[in-house]
Amino acid sequence: MATSSTSFYDLYRHGSLGMSLTDALDDLIGAERIDPQLAMKVLTQFDRIVAESLSDKVKARLTFKGSLDTYRFCDEVWTFLIKNVTFKMDNGQTTVVADKVKIVSCSAKRSDEK
Amino acid sequence: MSNANVGNVYDHIIQEVINAVRVDFEENGVDDGVLEELKKGWQHKLSQMNVASFPWDPKPEPPPPAPPAHTPAPATLPSQHQQQPQQQQQHQQAASYTQATLSPQTSAQPLSLPGNLHSNGNGIAIKSEPGLQKLEPVIKQEPGVGMQGQAGIPPPYNPGNGARQIAAQRAAQALESNYGPRAAASISAIQNNIQQAPRQGQQPLQQQQQQQQQQQHMQQQYRQGVINGMQQRMQQHGVPQGVPQNPPNGLPAAQVDGPSDAYDGVLMKRGVEMGRVEIDNLIHAQIASRAKQMEGGGLMLPLKEATKTRSIAKAKPVDGATQFDGPDDSMKDEDLDDDAINSDLDDSDDNNDDDEEDDEGSGQMMLCMYDKVQRVKNKWKCTLKDGVLTVNGREYVFHKATGEYEW
Repeated sequence: MATSSTSFYDLYRHGSLGMSLTDALDDLIGAERIDPQLAMKVLTQFDRIVAESLSDKVKARLTFKGSLDTYRFCDEVWTFLIKNVTFKMDNGQTTVVADKVKIVSCSAKRSDEK
Repeated sequence: MSNANVGNVYDHIIQEVINAVRVDFEENGVDDGVLEELKKGWQHKLSQMNVASFPWDPKPEPPPPAPPAHTPAPATLPSQHQQQPQQQQQHQQAASYTQATLSPQTSAQPLSLPGNLHSNGNGIAIKSEPGLQKLEPVIKQEPGVGMQGQAGIPPPYNPGNGARQIAAQRAAQALESNYGPRAAASISAIQNNIQQAPRQGQQPLQQQQQQQQQQQHMQQQYRQGVINGMQQRMQQHGVPQGVPQNPPNGLPAAQVDGPSDAYDGVLMKRGVEMGRVEIDNLIHAQIASRAKQMEGGGLMLPLKEATKTRSIAKAKPVDGATQFDGPDDSMKDEDLDDDAINSDLDDSDDNNDDDEEDDEGSGQMMLCMYDKVQRVKNKWKCTLKDGVLTVNGREYVFHKATGEYEW
């Protein structure tokens, strides 16, 4: 299980959910209520649970179009900066437009294989 | 999917995580209350981000989650009996937290500010003093001011000017021959002085100069008369007696002016008999005093103008002066940086790119896994899954996403 806990990406820590968790943990560490090590354990659990929940609990589909401004592929991580993006969700019922969006994407295979 | 779903999914995730780490908390001997606190803190912070509506947020409110952060949680919303105390706790925590963090800051500010001021003051004092003095003559040179000053005043026919120029030229020559290139700065100062001299008499702001102005008017009239007479006389008599050395330079005019010259009388009164070194000294003294006058005036300039003239002065390629300016400027820049800690972490080169990109994406971000990323020429197609998307302050989750974009 030790390997499985490390095989999840910590990329979701950068989302709002992860950030708020990190903040809350920081507050507890700052107040010396918990150890930093314990906080790290919480975060690894979080990595796993987020990935599982997103793949199990979420069924929504999304399509988007835009113009690619920059792209980068480094260490199996794709980074795109897309401008003038249009997102369509709920089978095209909802449309969201943004002038730019940054996409950070890790390989789905690697996490599956492990 | 979309936004409505997010609250539930996140709530589920929070529950799962809390349950999963309960064992770890117990193993570490951490009280269960802390875990609960973590959960509340997490939810609270998430609500503050206002990215979606969450099940734990007060439902009746149209803008659901965030505001409680700012309102100190009075007895609102009876539907929230369970959460109210906790929230209040949160708020108390938040309040004490902010106080704790703010008060050191505020107390630190008065402490740190004087320090900054000190360093700034020192820096300015060290740096600007030479700069100011160097610049002053150049500032005076600014043509617009002089022309304006002259506009309202009778045509500045000033026969003494020629003589003054010659004297200054001679002084400059002497300087150059004596000191070579080192004298460049003072020579340029002298030359500036020449250009400026006729004007300065007409600057109305300073009493001295007003007096000088009046005097000069009288002088001008007087000189005109005298010179007319002199020319006639010179034609008749040849060289005037008092000036055996100088006739070719046109200094006779200066000698004629001599008695009436109040403005640069110092020079002119005795100009003929003085040696070059003496003249130089006199000119230096005059320039220095004038620079002091202008220093007062310069300080009282509006900041904009002052910086304007200064930047103009910087741009001027005066040999010696720019050399002094150069290091000054760079020093200032460095000093600004020096206020920060001078470590590699502050090195702007490395960090700028990352920061920029982070800024570009900040708030508008998609975190996900990719199944496929394909490209044909400039057309990209990718298949993504298990993503979290934050756009325009709202958050969305998706199981699968396909994107098409052109580069």
